[in-house]
Amino acid sequence: MIETALPGAEVGVADETGAGDHLRATVRAAQFEGLSRIDQHRLVKAAVKERFEDGTIHALSVKTEVTG
Amino acid sequence: MADPQLKAKVEELIAANPVLLFMKGTPEMPRCGFSMRVVQVLDQMDVEYGAIDVLPALQPLREVTAEISDWQTFPQLYVNGELVGGADIVEEMFASGELAEALGVEQPAEAPPAQAAPTQAPPLQIE
Repeated sequence: MIETALPGAEVGVADETGAGDHLRATVRAAQFEGLSRIDQHRLVKAAVKERFEDGTIHALSVKTEVTG
Repeated sequence: MADPQLKAKVEELIAANPVLLFMKGTPEMPRCGFSMRVVQVLDQMDVEYGAIDVLPALQPLREVTAEISDWQTFPQLYVNGELVGGADIVEEMFASGELAEALGVEQPAEAPPAQAAPTQAPPLQIE
């Protein structure tokens, strides 16, 4: 989902608890250039909003990096 | 839609407090690990901050911050009227020194360096 919202992004997702609902996502994307961290996170969270709403994900830690 | 009176109150608080943390629990007794992590960071900075416990009005406050900042999870740290982020962002910005810069304070000396030097294992030798 993140890759669809941010084409070209490199996304790594780790399952924190083994239950699949507490995830840690590392996202590297060129689209983050010039954005504050909070705006970078807003993009990622918006991309997975549906999964929060349907209860698939309870917690998501996000780490973002800008790629050139 | 968010309660307009509550929204006005929150906007007033954000405007009145240069550094304001919305958290679960209080700085003395955080009720959530993420809130505790932000408190631990702020307590290392030479800065005064206001803290608001969101638990008594969690859902109404989520609706308010969704409208104000497009952000619904707590903790939320506001600096000079702008949402800086939650626990992940605050810790990342603390480690990189960006948080000290945003707060206009010196980076505390005991802060961990952004890039910890990897400990090098001694090379194995075959005799």
